[in-house]
Amino acid sequence: MARTLAMYTDTSVCIGCRACQVACKQWNQLPAEEPVWTGTYQNQEHFTDKTYRLVRFIEKKDTKGDLAWLLMSDVCKHCAEAGCLEACPTGAIYRTEYGTVNINQDICNGCRYCVSACPFGVVSFNHDTGRANKCTFCNDRIHNGLGPACAKACPTESIQFGFRDELAAKAQKRVEVLKKQGFKDAQLYGADQNDFLGGLNAFFLLLDKPPVYGLPEKPKLPQKNVFVDSLLSIGAAIAVGIGAVVSFRGRGSRGGEG
Amino acid sequence: MPLLQSADWPLIIDIYFFLGGLAGGAFVIATVASLWGGDRSREITRIGYYLALLAIIPGPIILVADLGMPTRFLHMMMVAKPELTIGQSAVNLGPFHLKPFSPMNAGAWALMGFSLCAFLAALDVFLVARGGRSMAGLRGAAGVIGSFFGFFIAAYPGVLMGATARPLWIDARLLGALFLTVGMTTGGAAIALILAATGARARDGLASLKRTYTMALGLELVILILLFAVVRGAGPVAQAGLAALISGVYGTTFWLGAVGVGLIIPLILELTSRSRVSMGVTAISAILILIGGFLTKYVIMIAGQAI
Repeated sequence: MARTLAMYTDTSVCIGCRACQVACKQWNQLPAEEPVWTGTYQNQEHFTDKTYRLVRFIEKKDTKGDLAWLLMSDVCKHCAEAGCLEACPTGAIYRTEYGTVNINQDICNGCRYCVSACPFGVVSFNHDTGRANKCTFCNDRIHNGLGPACAKACPTESIQFGFRDELAAKAQKRVEVLKKQGFKDAQLYGADQNDFLGGLNAFFLLLDKPPVYGLPEKPKLPQKNVFVDSLLSIGAAIAVGIGAVVSFRGRGSRGGEG
Repeated sequence: MPLLQSADWPLIIDIYFFLGGLAGGAFVIATVASLWGGDRSREITRIGYYLALLAIIPGPIILVADLGMPTRFLHMMMVAKPELTIGQSAVNLGPFHLKPFSPMNAGAWALMGFSLCAFLAALDVFLVARGGRSMAGLRGAAGVIGSFFGFFIAAYPGVLMGATARPLWIDARLLGALFLTVGMTTGGAAIALILAATGARARDGLASLKRTYTMALGLELVILILLFAVVRGAGPVAQAGLAALISGVYGTTFWLGAVGVGLIIPLILELTSRSRVSMGVTAISAILILIGGFLTKYVIMIAGQAI
């Protein structure tokens, strides 16, 4: 396995230009969509089968009551423990040698389990092709020595591309700088591999708590539930099975006597 | 609330979950009746095995029709994969693959195994009814193996829903167990309804059958209460999911349909009529259990996908 690649999105320098969103659309040849009025400059409301990169415009009142913007270029997190990948019954969703998560469009049969299983609501169902779509980490580009289109297009280096370990160290330094500057809620999201989901290969530097950005605080791998849920089901099966045997045996033997 | 998306599985999937659970429950009861029930339960075995086969036949058709690419239904179990990293504990055997932690993949395999067992068991019952000799060994094996698959088919949709990120389901822990008991009650009730409708003579067998699914109803009630407690204790996001189930637009369906019609009324009917078996009461109670069993799965599905 090659060294793990990552995208690091530093939301503190995002200016909301949406060059990433456009570059993503162009490189991946994603068609235009009807605009959605979200109340801010944000468009779409959430990831769709045609929007893999999405700049979020979050309006927040600061301590003085003034409106402030939180900008965040959101993307598939390429989780080290990925809910979509574990859910996929066909093996269409696979991990590349760079640690990214990709959907093989030639295998996906459109069961949509991954759509419900993603803790971030990233995977979207494409009704036109009958298959699931999400950010590919520009799989074609990274296999040809190029970074993802979004990172390439970003004018402020809000989106950075590189080796995961190097980027995580860089992000850690940046958080400390921001904290010194007075951004007391500045924090990394998914950079630590021991935090949740084995770490995110597209991680973020946020200026506020994750729920403000619509991110879950401590996402869980849904498939971790399978073992316990199955044991409890087996317990119920034993209980109703014994109930059935007792019911039939008692009556059956009495019937035999009579 | 975290931003999530939903698979939006439609009504036909609820129908599959209902029929699959019914088939699994009927098969298990038929096997128990054949192994322990003696002559008096022969009719239950016959109806149970026929019912299991009839109820599972629409299953694969529904599932294939619901796919975005129905022609690729075989990809659930086999496809040549370019990569090996398709998930933890995934086993590749030539073109086949088993992903034990993907309930949908495991369920596809179980559906195949169950269908085969249900076919063999029903075939044997059919041949015996036509005056042929029973393939006792084969039917015994199909009955026992098929009962394991039957339990699996009844429970796995719940485990599958528990292994998603949907707020109502992810912390529910007991959906598989709940669906299993619903499968037993609906499977038993369907057999009882047919017995009542055909004016069966095997009344002693019917009493055993009723006791079986009355116990399962009791367990279902206990599991439902535990499930509530678990979800309630799992934090604000799970609680918002629970609120969608027990109040709001789906609250009426849940309380009146799933709990009232499907659980409380049949439980009272069964417990108060225990001393003598009345065909009328049996039929009414069985119909209520079937309606309630469907609504239980339906409302958990639709409320879980709504928020």
